[in-house]
Amino acid sequence: MSGGRFVPEAFRHEVREEVGGVEPPHPVVRVRAADTVLRVLVRLLGRDRRRRHSRHRTPTRVLAALGIVASLLALSSAQPAGAADDDKVTFTLGLKNEVDSFNPFLGYEGPSYEAWSLSYDFMVGYSMDDMSPVPALAKSWEASEDGLTWTFDIREGVKWSDDVPFTAADVAYTLTRIINGETESGLYGSYLTNVETATAPDDTTVVLKLAKPNPALPLLPIPIIPEHIWKNVDEKEIATYPAEPSEGRPVVGTGPFVLVEGKAGGSTYRFEKNPDYWGGEPHVDEVVIRVFKAEDPMVQALIKGEVDFIHDINPLQVKALEGREGIKAYNGVSPYFEELGFNTGAVDTETDKPIGDGNPALKDPKFRHALGYAIDQDRLLKSAYQGAAVRGDSIVPVAFPDFRWEPSEDEEFKFDLTRAGELLDEAGYEKGADGFRTMPDGKPIGTLRLFARPEEQHSTTIMDFFSEWLGELGIKSEVTVRESARLTKDIIAGEYDVFHWGWYVESDPGNVVSYFTCDQRALANDSWFCDPAYDALFKSQSSEMDKAKRVEVVQEMQKMLFEQSPYLVLAYTADGQAFRSDRFACFVPQPKPDGVLVMQYGAGNYPLMRPTKDAGDCDGVARAVGANSASEAASSEDGGSNVVLIGGAVVLVLVAVGGGVLALRRRSTAGERE
Amino acid sequence: MTTLITAQVPPPVAKRRSYGRYAGGKVLGALGSLFFALVANFLLFRVLPGDPARTLGRNRFRTEEQLENFRHTYGLDQSMPEQFLTFLKNTFTGELGISLRYRVPVSDLIADRIWPTLLLVGTSTLLAMLIGVYLGIISGWNRGKKVDTASQSTTLTLYSMPEWWLGLLLIAALAVGIGPFTGIFPTGGLHSTDVEPGTFGYVVDTAWHLTLPVITLTLAYLAEFSLIMRSSILDELGEDYLVTARAKGLRDVEVRNKHAVRNALLPTTTLVVLNIGFVVSGAITIETVFSIPGLGLLSSEALDIPDFWVLQGTFLVATAAVIFANLVVNLLYGLIDPRVRT
Repeated sequence: MSGGRFVPEAFRHEVREEVGGVEPPHPVVRVRAADTVLRVLVRLLGRDRRRRHSRHRTPTRVLAALGIVASLLALSSAQPAGAADDDKVTFTLGLKNEVDSFNPFLGYEGPSYEAWSLSYDFMVGYSMDDMSPVPALAKSWEASEDGLTWTFDIREGVKWSDDVPFTAADVAYTLTRIINGETESGLYGSYLTNVETATAPDDTTVVLKLAKPNPALPLLPIPIIPEHIWKNVDEKEIATYPAEPSEGRPVVGTGPFVLVEGKAGGSTYRFEKNPDYWGGEPHVDEVVIRVFKAEDPMVQALIKGEVDFIHDINPLQVKALEGREGIKAYNGVSPYFEELGFNTGAVDTETDKPIGDGNPALKDPKFRHALGYAIDQDRLLKSAYQGAAVRGDSIVPVAFPDFRWEPSEDEEFKFDLTRAGELLDEAGYEKGADGFRTMPDGKPIGTLRLFARPEEQHSTTIMDFFSEWLGELGIKSEVTVRESARLTKDIIAGEYDVFHWGWYVESDPGNVVSYFTCDQRALANDSWFCDPAYDALFKSQSSEMDKAKRVEVVQEMQKMLFEQSPYLVLAYTADGQAFRSDRFACFVPQPKPDGVLVMQYGAGNYPLMRPTKDAGDCDGVARAVGANSASEAASSEDGGSNVVLIGGAVVLVLVAVGGGVLALRRRSTAGERE
Repeated sequence: MTTLITAQVPPPVAKRRSYGRYAGGKVLGALGSLFFALVANFLLFRVLPGDPARTLGRNRFRTEEQLENFRHTYGLDQSMPEQFLTFLKNTFTGELGISLRYRVPVSDLIADRIWPTLLLVGTSTLLAMLIGVYLGIISGWNRGKKVDTASQSTTLTLYSMPEWWLGLLLIAALAVGIGPFTGIFPTGGLHSTDVEPGTFGYVVDTAWHLTLPVITLTLAYLAEFSLIMRSSILDELGEDYLVTARAKGLRDVEVRNKHAVRNALLPTTTLVVLNIGFVVSGAITIETVFSIPGLGLLSSEALDIPDFWVLQGTFLVATAAVIFANLVVNLLYGLIDPRVRT
């Protein structure tokens, strides 16, 4: 915008011409010889002034810079010193997600489960070996012959963290709320399937009465809440009750740690140890959970020592951390499987009429099963999972050998495109003239829509591979990325062909096998699989109290799923974890032998872990990680000498920058004078 | 003579309005946009794919009943118009609903998250503004010289660099340390757990945590201000009043600061005030890299569910701030440059 403000356009032109026609960087005024002396004088004065000025300024700047550096250094050194001062042992855990609610009836994110299990106890918990039921607040239990009455013997002398005695009444109260409440039943209702009442005839006994036997009992991973606190929270309030520390009052529980600071959705949570914990006083004074929103900074924080343990890092990070001194990184087995799920025929659950636009070929179990031979699992393990997974086949992962069914040598999928092609030919999906397979009636199959999820990095890689293999079989496909929320919607509407997702599996297979029943369609059954024979088996196992017989039925169900292939189970994945082995030791992996160390089922490791320097033999816990490494004392040479170095470096940089700015400034001002 | 002119020019030239009328018009306009934004906020998020009950209920709700219960508890089973009315009613009573994910009032969430964002983005915008405007003046005044080239190429490089990458570089260099240099800044977060809130140490600790993210954002924002400032300075360079100023014998610095810069500041003012309006939208990437629980992260994560009430709340705050900033610009303009009042 150069509309003249003072001079009319025409006149302005003249002015410019006088200057020489070309627009100069800025207008130059012609000076007569008489003014030259004056000009030189002014310039000299100016330069002199400026030089004096800068001489003044340079030391000031350096001083200021030094001041900043000094204060920063003081700060950074004050940080660890502050922590060491009171000799408090703090275990800091870095997680990638927030606690979404400290109320154990509301949250659903992994960190929330971790927080609840620090503050609350189960009546019957998970074992460290294989997640089977083990005593927690209940010392022992027995079931009646018919499986309709369960009697639990509750531990005596346990106190809530506010010193109120804990009794069987608290357990009965918690369970009753779940049986009767809407919100309360959300997470835990399924554990209490068929349970009609929970009562406490005396302070140390809890009795469950069932309508029908429930084979998943006695596993009851339900956080037991204090009646004297929660009785004030009615059924309506509980849907928004935060259960967070308020006005300096910590959250009341019986767990090994007490939540003293933290808010749902916050970024740090602080737990103090419960010295009266019934399982023995924990060896660390404080557990701090820090939420990181990005993986790289979290790994950097571990390297730097800001956190002691990190969870859910990718296999490449694990590899990068493996060689570092004082850090142990590994891929822990987790009971999780990933699958390719097919649209086996979406229907309106009320009218049973087909909905959506799933590819007709995928409705045929033979077609789906044949695709199992077109997946090079070894290749995927290497390229997509970077080695942090094992081959998958059945929906019950290797972590649970009891109920797991494994395909025999003949049955199992081996990457063999010829075999896959033959199977497809047999089923009638022969290649047409254009090289693409057709439906048995000769119509083209069309393009399969493969949905990868952006939430998992390897999802697209897997789908790209699969698409390529399908291409080699003569089946067209197209990979699309769909966020979980959108994909869920598409699945409910039946508007998909293949997706990649996964499930956590619990030690009792009751839940995972239920995902393939007709009743679960439009709920957890995302492959729309429905087979009356399967449903009959499901029903028979759900009240079978004889474990051997139940195992047989559950294995039969897995075999059925393998053959009909609503899912092609790709892999059982591992969880990347890493920790400062120079600081903490005595973690027990769950499950045996290569399981995860935190984010387990239950808070098993928190009372066990201890500082490396007093680890000893971890009280004889045989499987503990770092039991004998007590001698490799933490070597921390990086102390004073480095501080000086950094200080020096920072001063140098600042001086250089400051100097540069000054130099530029001076040069520019010199240049400015025409 | 006046009659002659009005006769000649068919649509009569609008009289310059009084400032009061001008301001009133602008305020009404702002209220209108705010209402429009409210409606858009509501509709925008309702067309998002995804059903919160399904997203939150995966692996959790086993029966239709449970799904229905959830929807009922959080008002998702109402029809669209009903939900819209609830939304309007809530908004006008200052209530923003309850987060589906965190189950706490959205106003509490926003109140918690707005401070980190204000500290982070506010400070960076302010710093970027001061430094950027200064750089712009310097390089505009010295067009084509080394200082101009240097400042332009540096700011542009920083501007086009992905913020998160710049952040990660700074973390690696200054938080973790390279080679013999150990880092002096924390890798992320807003404050340490072992400092008492409200003390001087707490303030210093927070500043220490925010140093790297603020540096990152400031560097990234610099170009915006410096480029605008540079070009408006360039516009002024050819002006005759500068010649006059020089002719009066003023020193170069005085010509620049007292004459050129004052006239060149107008476009920059707009940019500055508008940017201040955008502060509360947060800086999603930087909040992610440095794990700072701010508003940007809150709304971006709410999208996954989608957590309607949180999205509506954060977008309401963001739009209101931008509209308000716009209003401020308009009102300021009316004062600074009366010509815009016509």
